[in-house]
Amino acid sequence: MFLSRIVRHDLDSIDSLSSMASSKKVVTREEWERKLRDVKIRKEDMNRLVMNFLVTEGFVDAAEKFRVESGTQPEIDLATITERMEVKRAVQSGNVQEAIEKINDLNPTILDTNPQLYFHLQQQKLIELIRAGKISEALEFAQEELAPRGEENQTFLEEIEKTVALLVFEDVKNCPYGELLDVSQRLKTASEVNAAILTSQSHEKDPKLPSLLKMLLWTQNQLDEKAAYPRINDFTTAALEDPSI
Amino acid sequence: MPATASGGARPEEAAEAPSASTSASVCMGTRPEELAARLAAAGPAAGAGAGCVGAGAGGAEVEHERVRALREIKNQIIGNRTKKLLYLRLGAVPAVVAALASPVSSPAALVQAAAAAGSFACGVDDGARAVLDAGAVGHLTRLLAHPDEKVVDASARALRMIYQSRLAPKFDVNIGKNMDFVLSLLNSENENVTELAATIISHSCESSAEQLSLCSAGVPQKLISLFGGSMNLRDACLDSITAIIRNNRETASRFASMDHGKVFRSVVGLIHDRSPRTRLLTCLCLIALGHASPCHFQDKQIKTKLIMVLLELIEEPGQVGDEAPLALTTLIKDSLELQKQALMTNAVEKLSSHLLANPLETRRAVTILLALSELCSKLEESRSQLMSVEVSTLILEALKHDWADIRVAACSCLKNISRSPKVLSGGRLSCDTVIAPLVQLLCDSSTSVQVAALGAICNIAVNLTPWKTVLLHSGAVSQLVHLSKSMDPTLRLKSVWALRNIMFLLSPKDKDFVVKELTLSTLSSLICDSEHFVQEQTLALVHNLVDGYLESANYVIGEDGMVIDAISRQLNNASAPGVCIQGMFVLANIAAGNELSKEAVMRVILPHRTDCVKPTFVVKFLQSKDKQLRVATLWCLLNLIYPKCDASSGRVVRLQNSGVIPQVKNMINDPCLDCKLRVRMVLEHCVDNADDCFM
Repeated sequence: MFLSRIVRHDLDSIDSLSSMASSKKVVTREEWERKLRDVKIRKEDMNRLVMNFLVTEGFVDAAEKFRVESGTQPEIDLATITERMEVKRAVQSGNVQEAIEKINDLNPTILDTNPQLYFHLQQQKLIELIRAGKISEALEFAQEELAPRGEENQTFLEEIEKTVALLVFEDVKNCPYGELLDVSQRLKTASEVNAAILTSQSHEKDPKLPSLLKMLLWTQNQLDEKAAYPRINDFTTAALEDPSI
Repeated sequence: MPATASGGARPEEAAEAPSASTSASVCMGTRPEELAARLAAAGPAAGAGAGCVGAGAGGAEVEHERVRALREIKNQIIGNRTKKLLYLRLGAVPAVVAALASPVSSPAALVQAAAAAGSFACGVDDGARAVLDAGAVGHLTRLLAHPDEKVVDASARALRMIYQSRLAPKFDVNIGKNMDFVLSLLNSENENVTELAATIISHSCESSAEQLSLCSAGVPQKLISLFGGSMNLRDACLDSITAIIRNNRETASRFASMDHGKVFRSVVGLIHDRSPRTRLLTCLCLIALGHASPCHFQDKQIKTKLIMVLLELIEEPGQVGDEAPLALTTLIKDSLELQKQALMTNAVEKLSSHLLANPLETRRAVTILLALSELCSKLEESRSQLMSVEVSTLILEALKHDWADIRVAACSCLKNISRSPKVLSGGRLSCDTVIAPLVQLLCDSSTSVQVAALGAICNIAVNLTPWKTVLLHSGAVSQLVHLSKSMDPTLRLKSVWALRNIMFLLSPKDKDFVVKELTLSTLSSLICDSEHFVQEQTLALVHNLVDGYLESANYVIGEDGMVIDAISRQLNNASAPGVCIQGMFVLANIAAGNELSKEAVMRVILPHRTDCVKPTFVVKFLQSKDKQLRVATLWCLLNLIYPKCDASSGRVVRLQNSGVIPQVKNMINDPCLDCKLRVRMVLEHCVDNADDCFM
């Protein structure tokens, strides 16, 4: 008895859903804009959002200009951004040792407390040696520096094996693990470094703006099922587009 | 090894280089051996040089060389265990600390030396020990007052690394001016220094006296006020608050009612913080509070929220996700209500799917298994939910894994699952596949694995066929007998416990088999074990042996009475209550047997003595506050005088004359109903038997 009641209830709700879908609520452009105007967002909050983005992403000059123009105080000392960007640039241009030393100067506890980051930097160093064709140096480095990390951690060992496999191929660019030599690998390591430094400075590692945009997208998708309304399709212009009925 | 060999030779070579004194930069080797030598050479030379000319060109150059060597060593060791160990062998730590101690070190040298010292103390116990032995803590503490802010930052960071090592000495705030020192650190403007204060408190605060002193000095309020600072500082403060309230009802309740509960609410607010680490630390703090002072933590909503937050945190990468299951385990431990709550929030399902998604050799798998084990400790539904095909296979795999921690966690899971005979027999685990690896773990090289495997076997043994039969024929009994002679008391306890459970409701034939494996002499020596909990389990084993198998009494009273003598010794020596209770149950079971058995029991409780001054232990047991002991003793008496016959009447007289029956008469209004009933039965039988005598 109980079961059948549940089933009936479910059928009811499906019925009502399908009837709703056929008669979606329509919101006109005027109505939508009027409602938008009613929402008050403080200018300072918008500015802080922008500043948060500039600081997290490391646009130090823009942040400085924005500070002067808008009077928004950045969450951290702008000087630390410069240092962070120097580290990031060092990784992006393949100078891994320089990056390691700069991180240690910034805060010597970062690499001691992030074994994974330290490993990825060492791995990147090996990749750079292979890229530069310094084969014997690469082999020595892999044996002396990376092998002990592999003994401590199974995941690291697998990554070392992939990296060392690059040495076997004549045409490294097209070998199975060739993507390790891509610029994207440097960028990946660089962004990991960036996040670790931000965390050590008690700063969130991701800017807030992108997650807000994701939330906007999600909300619009939810709303699409219930109503037709002026949507934002192009996020670069944020232009409202007339509802299609 | 080759590294050590060359290390032995190199320093001598390199040591020659600085003999060209001022031009120290000639020696620019960056191999560890060369660097250690460079540092050693630069150290004393700088001290001597600066002694005569503070800013002499030579002195400056040597100092420059020293900074470079320190920085190079620092950059090599940070994050690198192997290098730390290598430099330790080369004796670099004392040289680094010497730089901290030297009054002429430049700020640059101090910053590099402090960072190196902090790194040596991180992650390598030998490194922490060397740094402590070299006296780094004293020097770094002194440097907290250095005029150069960079030196202060570096010293505070290094001290924080040192105090995060378990080897660091405890800093007792109740000694001397230590409290003033901690307060001065907490009041510092420098966040690295305040964070250090929080780290010191988390590391050191253990005794309730220290917790109370910190509370009275207003430290919790101060820590809360620092919540406004950076995220890392706030996390460190949360951790210290937990240390101050842990297991201390007084400080916990003071904290909960501080500022009309405002302080408490500000901690609760952090449960939804954006930072996962903060959320975890908040949960840990609230769990500690709830355990220390349950009356301040009755809000069911908060508890449910804690469960949900912790289940979410398991998805976080790194340490937070690894530790979240442990926090959940602590939260729900021993609480049926919270375990139900967790089950309702799909905890078993969520944890299982994470377990299946992670490789076994991770700390996360271990902590998740432990949390699942706790969830299965009371609730039948959790157990049956957990036993999906995938998870059962995974647990079996974990039993055979190379890593001891994961084997322990898998055993713990099996232990709690096997509390349910239904899940065990109806589930996905077939006894053949489980028992063989478990029995194998009894010979594991790690004691903690052996103990965990014994726990699982203990519970499995309670189950009847087919589990018990498979267990009996798996070679488990001889392994258990072997472990019952171990040096480790826990292993002895658990192995005897397992044998006791195997013996439970076993067929006479199988009981004979177990006794034969165990031997009566081992049994007697286990009854007289040095640990009372082993004695108790052994007597419980004998209890199960004689239960429902009258012929088995011969094991106890036959063979020169080796076993019954041992029991008699324990009862006369008035051991722990548990031992006495089990001993009396054994006697009661034997007294249920034939005349021979009854008389053997009589000899134990009323020995023929020349002096009859000392009353029998039975009277003492009847006067005991422990009702179980009284019941067991009454049962024994009842069996001795039952059934009605001449021999029984004779025993009534002997018990009457030795003061036992008069004591029973005193108990006619025993507060325990069970006792009262047995007392009446004993007295009725006495009357019956007496009537017989006089007729």
